[in-house]
Amino acid sequence: MRDTSTAFRVKKALGYAMMLAFLGFSLLPVVWVVLLSLRPATALFEPIWESPAAWTLDNIRSIARSDFPAALLNSFITAGSSTLLALLVGVPGAFALSKRRASNKFFASWLLLLLRMAPPVGFVIPLFLVYVRAGLIDTYAGLIFAYTSLTLPFVVWSMWTSFNQIPDELVEAGLMDGASLGRVLWRIVIPAARPGLVAAGVLSFLLAWNDFFFSLIITRSDTTTAPVAVMNFVSYASVDWGAIAVASIALTLPIVPIIVLANKYIVQSLGGAVKG
Amino acid sequence: MTPPRASAAMDRTYRRMLWPASLAVGIFAIAPLLGMLALSFTDFHLVRGWSGKIGIHNFLRLFEDRRFVSSIYIMMALSAFGVLAQVVLGTAIAVGLDKIVGKWRVARGIFVVPFAVPHVAVALIWLSLFTPTLSPINAVFAVFGIEVPALLTTQTGAITAIVIADTWATYPFVMLIVLAALQGISPDLDEAAALDGATRVKAFFRITLPLLYPTLLMVALFRFIETLKHFPLIFVMTSGGPGRATQATNYYAYVQTFQNSNVAYGASIAVFLFLFAAAISFYIAKANARLSDA
Repeated sequence: MRDTSTAFRVKKALGYAMMLAFLGFSLLPVVWVVLLSLRPATALFEPIWESPAAWTLDNIRSIARSDFPAALLNSFITAGSSTLLALLVGVPGAFALSKRRASNKFFASWLLLLLRMAPPVGFVIPLFLVYVRAGLIDTYAGLIFAYTSLTLPFVVWSMWTSFNQIPDELVEAGLMDGASLGRVLWRIVIPAARPGLVAAGVLSFLLAWNDFFFSLIITRSDTTTAPVAVMNFVSYASVDWGAIAVASIALTLPIVPIIVLANKYIVQSLGGAVKG
Repeated sequence: MTPPRASAAMDRTYRRMLWPASLAVGIFAIAPLLGMLALSFTDFHLVRGWSGKIGIHNFLRLFEDRRFVSSIYIMMALSAFGVLAQVVLGTAIAVGLDKIVGKWRVARGIFVVPFAVPHVAVALIWLSLFTPTLSPINAVFAVFGIEVPALLTTQTGAITAIVIADTWATYPFVMLIVLAALQGISPDLDEAAALDGATRVKAFFRITLPLLYPTLLMVALFRFIETLKHFPLIFVMTSGGPGRATQATNYYAYVQTFQNSNVAYGASIAVFLFLFAAAISFYIAKANARLSDA
């Protein structure tokens, strides 16, 4: 059934034009940051076509010399640790929630969703007061604990959804063969739920990596994460746009390979999570 | 079926698997929230401390506080326009991409790129694009003699700017989910509609859209919750300004707590937001339970 009338072709062309326009909307800001990161401070406020030859690596050099790389490392350490902690504790919990015969699962599912949706400002106020007394302000442990309030409910909730898609018969068959429940989880269920596990791990890492608010409140100079450290280049008197552009790229680059590699799993898992 | 002899021992193992998670959720997540609730009934101040007063005075104050009431309007504007733009755009692009097969499928990957950009970077990128002296948008229009208005200096403009930045970063999320849902809809349905003489547009609104509705509703609710929590975009792009024009409720809680040191009052604002999240998550959990029973 091929429609070749003019009206159809015009509509099709309009469709493609719209898609191209939105492709531009998505991509051009990214192109702009890359250009910005390579422009010298002297040429910043003139249009690119007026000084097309003005390029520099100074912005990259000045970022490399600043505290920013250390902040990136802090982000890796805290987001990574919190994700590992959440997986370690959350995966067996989610497995039990999914396969155990219990009546009041609705309350657990509501509670987990609620914790995932609760405003961070609610967590941060009491944490801040306790941290000041306990000496946890500006420590890795303090930040990792705070991130776990985000990552753990997320991991339990999304792994619960993934385990629900694994047939109970698989667990029962393993038990019939005489394996313990822990062994069944480790040897049979986790490998079968790998897409969900990858997605939960990646998204939980991103949740912590993206955080700005917790880090802003409970870190100072030693454990500042990269998203907060970027703000050092914004001061009341002036804004170092070149440095900000480089820092924004440095913040995004580690995420790109993760998203590309895990894209398929993430889509499956998000689709499953939204559909229930 | 599970053999009955195993069930008691197995239940014990299940509970052993459950308790570390329960304990951790209790300590890291529930305890702080209870702390927030407790604080909201006190008059705790970051500098002055607590006078021993307990009561509902903070909640009474909320509804006389004009800044709080206007923060709700601002929050609602940011959420309503943001979610609408993200869902419409995400669905439109997903429907377009769904039709594209072959080597152009790479386009999917390109559309997802902004989703990878951390929120602070999103805010800074759009701040640069909305800074008239710096922005290439202004430079391009200036060539044609058109002066682009400075968005961030008016309330409507600043809210629009935040909505644009938020939409740029999050419509790929909607797109990915709708794309996954579209893949579950049989193309036979479209063909059947075409055979019945329905136009493509009609077929979309009569057949595809109703089938997508549950997915769209869930996505919209998720996005709605996220938009209530806007922080980096406001902090970086407008600092709540011009004046207090973009102080959404979540940001206002931050201002009261950490700038004005009114910890108890800030906590009561957080409790208000929390009740919002509780209502919506209750609805989603109910819908999920219905779906998994069916």
